[in-house]
Order: sequence, then C-alpha cells, then structure tokens
Amino acid sequence: MSLRLEEQRRLVTQWILRLSIGLAVFAILVGLTLFLARGAVYFPRTPSGRIDQILAYVWHEALDLRPSAFLDVGILVILFTPLARLASGVVANVRARDWLYVGIGALVIALVITGLFTGQAGS
Amino acid sequence: MTPLLSVLLVLVGGLFAGLVGSLTGLGGGLVIVPLLTLLLHMPVQQAVGVSLLGVIATSVGAAPRFVGTGLSNVRLALFLQVAASSGALLGALVAHKVPDRSLFLIFGLVMLYSAVMSFIPSKHDAMGAPTESRLAARLRLASHYRSGEAWIDYKVQGVAPAFAVMVGAGLLSAMLGIGSGVFKVLAMDKLMRLPFRVSTATSNFMIGITAATSAGYYLSHGEVPPLVAAPVILGVLGGAYLGAHWVHHLPTPVLRRVFAAVLCFVAVDMLLKGFGV
Repeated sequence: MSLRLEEQRRLVTQWILRLSIGLAVFAILVGLTLFLARGAVYFPRTPSGRIDQILAYVWHEALDLRPSAFLDVGILVILFTPLARLASGVVANVRARDWLYVGIGALVIALVITGLFTGQAGS
Repeated sequence: MTPLLSVLLVLVGGLFAGLVGSLTGLGGGLVIVPLLTLLLHMPVQQAVGVSLLGVIATSVGAAPRFVGTGLSNVRLALFLQVAASSGALLGALVAHKVPDRSLFLIFGLVMLYSAVMSFIPSKHDAMGAPTESRLAARLRLASHYRSGEAWIDYKVQGVAPAFAVMVGAGLLSAMLGIGSGVFKVLAMDKLMRLPFRVSTATSNFMIGITAATSAGYYLSHGEVPPLVAAPVILGVLGGAYLGAHWVHHLPTPVLRRVFAAVLCFVAVDMLLKGFGV
C-alpha cells in the first residue's frame, strides 16, 4: 500500500473511531442526565428481538425524542463500530488492490454479520 | 442501593475494567461480570451481555491511541479473526454436546502454566521472532511498530498453530461464555513470538470484533439493560483511553507482570469451575 493510501486509511480509521466515541459518549451522557434529572425513577425498557427489529424500535423511540433512545443509540453505536472499522478496511484494501486482504476482510465481516443477525454465536 | 449510587458504581467499575482490559489486551470482562453479579446481583446472562458491550468499548476506546503506531497488526488480526469468528459460530452449534467441566479443567491447567511462564521475560519482548515462517511471508504479516521516536521491525512465526488455537479459542468462548482475549494474547506471544506490546494491541483490536459477533445474541434476547450497559460503556471508554496511553509509557516487564497476574486469576477461576466449586 502506498504511503498516501496508508495515510488516508489512518485518517479514515481515526475519524470513524472518534466519531463513534463522541456520539456514544454524548448520547449516553444525555440519557443518564435525563434519567437522573427525573429523580432516577424512570427505567427504560430493555430492547429485544432481532437486530433489525431493535434498530427499528430505537429509530421510533428517537423520532418521539424519548430519553431512553439516547442510551440505546449509545449502545448501538458502540456495537456497530467494529463492523464499520472492518468495512472501511475492506474499502482501503480495494483501493490498494490488495485482493487477498479484501477477501479476508469480507469473510470476517460476513462471519460477524452472521453472528450479529442470527444471534447464534457465544462470547 | 440508590439508582444514583448504582450508576456511579458501574461507571467506576467500567473505568477500572477498561484500564486493565486495554493494558493487557484481555477486554475487561473479568472485572465487569463479577461486579455486576456480586455487587448488583444481576443475572449472569445479563452480566455477560453487558460485559460484551464493555469489551467492544475497551477495543474502541483504546484503538485511537494505537492507530498510526503500528502496535496493532491489522493484517494479522484479520487473518486470525477468520479462525476466531468461525470457532465462535461453530461453538454455538456444539455448545450443549461437550462437558463444560473437563474443558474448564484442561484450559485452567494450560493457563496456569502459561501464567507462570508469562512472569518470565522473553527474548522476543521487543524485537519479535528472529526469523519469518513461509506462511507469514506469503501473508505479509511482518510489520513494524513505533517505540519512542524509532520504528522497530519484527517478524512472525507459528501462523498455522496460532490459527488452530484461535479456532479453539472461538469455540471455547462460545461454549463457555468466556472472553477469548487471554488465548489471543498467549497465541501471539508464545506461538507467533510477536513483541508483547504488539500482541496486546492486536488482541485489543480482535476482541472488539469477536464480542460484536456474539453480542447480537444477548441483545436479541433482551439481556442488555440500557441503564447498566450505558454507564459501563462510558466508564470503559475512559479507562481504555487511559490504559492505551499508559501502554506506550509502561516498561514491557511491568505490562507482562500485569498480564500474568490477571492470567493467574482467570486460571484459578477456571479450575474452581472445573472442580465444581
């Protein structure tokens, strides 16, 4: 990989990580502040179901500006960050025409998505 | 315990877990699960679900400090992750067909031995393996990392055995509900003979992916209560950032001792479970 592509890859990875951390921290802080500000008597529902159903549930929560949406958004942002980082790595390898690691990266993404969406893997 | 105190306790616990997890490359689940089950009396399944989110947060929180330093070998991580994730998926299928206690005993003994050996500094702690294996060369796994102002080149050995260990690690983590950072660091340190800092940083990258593979199960089953998971994530992100900062400044023998101490703890815990205690 050329130095220019390597530098671009580093910047994109940094950007994904910082954006994820910033968004998660902001969402969680707002959610916790609202929880404490309301006397700590409001207990948000624990989401469940398939991942796509949970995403849809949180989306509707967010549209209604419910406080629990902030906590759920923070959790989901952290959950999907490794996947986003993997995807950006695959794109960087495509640009570098490093097909061996495009294949390996795509395979890992497929395995993660299988585990994430089928809910079959353990810890 | 008041809700405010619970949130604060979980936040501080998360901070400590992130610190230890990012320093050792183990993830911090060892701190989070006992904290939630013993102090907050949470069901184990929920504690594991929250812990997995904490492990992902450790990986994400420490990563910005590693990017651009070469400490995290991304090619190596991706290659080994194929084995770890495959093992995790396979493990879920055979989870109920293998006796847990004998596995706990076998791996507890292996880890205890590894823990004792980890207290002894290795010649490859900074420089890595002296020669490169043919498979490592084909996969272009040799790399370099920054140490102060200098860049240190290192080579890689033992790719095939490490790959096999990763399948086993994934398999076990799925079957036993344990984190697999321990096996990742050990395989990279003892079999691939990577510099110790590279082993922990690369493991740090991998544990986030492994945990994301399995966190979906717990989330889907409603085992991740947001009011607990959110402060854990917040604390872990802060601790992981601090830990990743310290990794650059702490001497390798100190890092190795911290790792070995945590390993002893895990080994004893596994042996006790193996004996049914």
